Amino acid sequence: MTEMFIILVSTILVNNFVLAQFLGLCPFMGVSKKLDTAIGMGAAVTFVMAVAAMVTWVIQYFVLAKFGIEYLQTIAFILVIAFLVQLVEMIIQKTSPVLYQALGIFLPLITTNCAVLGLAVLNVQKGHSFLQSILFAIGAALGFTLAMVLMAGIREKVDVGPVPKCFQGLPIAFITAGLMSLAFMGFAGLIK
Amino acid sequence: MQVQQVKERSKAFVNLFRQHKGMNMELKTFKGGLHPPDNKRWSEKKAIEVCPVAEGDELVIHLSQHIGAPAEACVQKGDKVLKGQVIGTPKGFVSVPIHASTSGEVIAVEPRLDTAGNKTMAVVIKADGKDEWDPNLSGADPDKLMPQELKDRILAAGIVGMGGATFPTHVKLSPPEGKKIDYLILNGVECEPYLTADDRLMQEKPEEVVEGILILKRILGVEKAVIGIEANKPTAIETMQKACEGKGIEVCPLQLKYPQGAEKQLIYAVTGREVPSGGLPMDCGCVVQNVGTAAAVNAAVRRGIPLIERIATVSGSAVAEPKNLLIKIGQPISKLVEFCGGVKGELGKIIQGGPMMGMAAVSMDVPVTRGTSGILLFSEGEVIRAPEGPCVRCGNCVRACPAFIMPTEIAFQMRRGKVDEAEKLNVMDCIECGSCTYICPAQIPLLQFFRQAKSAIRANIAKRKKV
Amino acid sequence: MIAAVISLGGIGFLAAVILGFAAKKFAVEVDPREAEIAGNLPGANCGACGYAGCGGYAKAVVAGNAPPNLCTPGGAGAVAMIARVMGVEATAAEPTVAVICCQGDNTRAQDKYKYVGVHDCRTAQALAGGPKACPSGCLGLGTCVAACAFGALSISPEGLAVVDREKCVGCKKCTTVCPRNVIKMAPKSATVQVLCNSHDKGAVIKSYCQVGCIGCQICKKTAEDVYAVDNFLASVKNESYDQEKAVAGMLKCPAKCIHDLAAADTPQEEKTEEKAQ
Repeated sequence: MTEMFIILVSTILVNNFVLAQFLGLCPFMGVSKKLDTAIGMGAAVTFVMAVAAMVTWVIQYFVLAKFGIEYLQTIAFILVIAFLVQLVEMIIQKTSPVLYQALGIFLPLITTNCAVLGLAVLNVQKGHSFLQSILFAIGAALGFTLAMVLMAGIREKVDVGPVPKCFQGLPIAFITAGLMSLAFMGFAGLIK
Repeated sequence: MQVQQVKERSKAFVNLFRQHKGMNMELKTFKGGLHPPDNKRWSEKKAIEVCPVAEGDELVIHLSQHIGAPAEACVQKGDKVLKGQVIGTPKGFVSVPIHASTSGEVIAVEPRLDTAGNKTMAVVIKADGKDEWDPNLSGADPDKLMPQELKDRILAAGIVGMGGATFPTHVKLSPPEGKKIDYLILNGVECEPYLTADDRLMQEKPEEVVEGILILKRILGVEKAVIGIEANKPTAIETMQKACEGKGIEVCPLQLKYPQGAEKQLIYAVTGREVPSGGLPMDCGCVVQNVGTAAAVNAAVRRGIPLIERIATVSGSAVAEPKNLLIKIGQPISKLVEFCGGVKGELGKIIQGGPMMGMAAVSMDVPVTRGTSGILLFSEGEVIRAPEGPCVRCGNCVRACPAFIMPTEIAFQMRRGKVDEAEKLNVMDCIECGSCTYICPAQIPLLQFFRQAKSAIRANIAKRKKV
Repeated sequence: MIAAVISLGGIGFLAAVILGFAAKKFAVEVDPREAEIAGNLPGANCGACGYAGCGGYAKAVVAGNAPPNLCTPGGAGAVAMIARVMGVEATAAEPTVAVICCQGDNTRAQDKYKYVGVHDCRTAQALAGGPKACPSGCLGLGTCVAACAFGALSISPEGLAVVDREKCVGCKKCTTVCPRNVIKMAPKSATVQVLCNSHDKGAVIKSYCQVGCIGCQICKKTAEDVYAVDNFLASVKNESYDQEKAVAGMLKCPAKCIHDLAAADTPQEEKTEEKAQ
């Protein structure tokens, strides 16, 4: 139980995928302009990550390891993740057109999102069990959502503030992201 | 002069600080607000004088001196009118009749400049100097009348809220079915700096006010009536306490703080009840009336006198001799100022009403209305025209806001034209007291942003209704 | 080797089957014409057509609720595109541009009070009808500039809104935000316009503005079919516009408030250059 808890805390805060490991920066900068879309994106990523962790774990141990073809890991994982994202996209388009509109081009971005791929690879590297990999995925996705929501909240405020002209738009967002990352460094050492 | 302002401002800060530290705790008040230097000493000791109307004087009586539909003129050019005669009939429920303030001849019925700078319909009367009453006006014993008859008399006299908001009194006294009213609160707070009109009224004619309150109580059928008076009017508090003895009216001294005279803040200070966001005082069982309104109600019911004159303070640094005057509706500001010894030094700004919530008048030629509680003239050096600075997020405005909204955030949103965001931040709860703008060290015109937001939101709502 | 091919191929095949099944099951009907029209519109979401953004207009066109020639920013190109997609014939609307019907800048028109506050014409207008003595002249606080999505408006150093006739696409956004309705739309070819918006009588106008229309009717007498005078304010009848007659009337104007906007560009530029030097 403690171990599970540690996995969650470490992935959400200490080894936050976005702010500590710098994975998935593309949607982090792209979709964090508005709180609503940030939450939607976080939800989509959470779903994809959880499913991807399960499927890739199965693929890794029941296909790749069995036939001794671990060297095909990256290709196999990309294939599976791309498939999953396509599936999610189709479902969202049908069930929630509003969310589909808001996520726009960023949904396909999850296809080759390094955060999702990184998660699958890390799961294998760390030798997680099936349950552990799912927890790891959920933790990572929650961490990603947390970073997105925080960033979106800040950017909504920064947007109306008197930002010097040369910093308006992306520059101030990058500075903000840097400062947030620095803040998250404070969690380092919380868990070995 | 600048140094003086800084000093006064810092004094205000200190006051605010003290209030937050919990001194002055023995008196009731509301949350938020501030205490600007009240400068009432200039006119608080001056007895009410009558500002005369001479033969040949022109009185410009606007047909829209109240909130609601403007009255419709029922006299024509060339007509002879008597003092107190109806010259404008009400259109609709939320409207009141308009009366001639003196006897004379109607010389024009045309759009004239009002305080807001717009040209609105007005009846212009050339006074004949005789000041002859309309013989048809008659009084009655209020105890022998039914509440509805009393209300009819109030409507016929054209009585509106005398604190400055000018909301028709008969409407306020007619709560819709199902709203139980159990509290009548009289507003003798006069929290606006400089103004001493209500103070003088309570000191000089306490019995008029008390009789008026008794009539209002009868109409509403309430048991509890409380007069809220700020602690800087000790004489008025004492006089009123004496006059109210045995009448079932309570006098409640209140801590010095602006905007205590605002309806919702006064209700909270006196009863501890809070008016819900977007609601009216009647939603928490209260009706608030100004003490001036109470006196006017008394005059209307007992003597049949319509609302043709009122008490107003003429004060400010650019007035030679500040005074409290009994003015006739329709007299030009210049006449009042002349009566007070004219303009002293260089005139920078004319304000009709109090300095916090009053309206700057474009010229001295505009007439006074039923809502004119004061005329303030400020000298050139005293009017702050410094450019606004950047917001330093000191939070003074948030602390001062008696409506608990965040002025700075709303201003940020409005700068980017984000009206919807401003609506989400509850800008509609703003009572436009101006505390935030007063306290802002960067002199950001916060209130103006809110007015802009409110009018835009109202337009949006109207549009949504249409669709 | 074979294991690798088979296993990866198997995963791929399985994915394909599921996706193919899902594509059928979760298919969303989209009218391809709507996407094509929306994709080819300018995408400025200016609202000139009266719909919420380009997407809304595309939807309305496909549904048959809107004519194909409402997109002014897109001009003739957009009309042709919509007509082609929808298979109907359409004629392009004559391009219009915004005209600031006022010349009363700080040097030529008087103020009735000094305005300090929010830099927005609408707020200023709410304060005693605006600081300008003229009840209908340009306030010059730039609300229209902020509203223009195409950068076609600016405020001159003298405090008057100026239209860049090349950049203006005729979306009418500025006309809706202007609290005094100083901005009017006119066909691009009708270059001669009356640059005044005040219905006040001549004597009143002269008291606060040097370049206001006094309603003297001289332009109307010179060219009856081009000029109209309504309540002491002259205007150009855009539907029966004639360049030569309009110029004739312009030259006769004693108040100098009729201008050829195509020609007016040059002297203004000279003026700014002089200032720069």
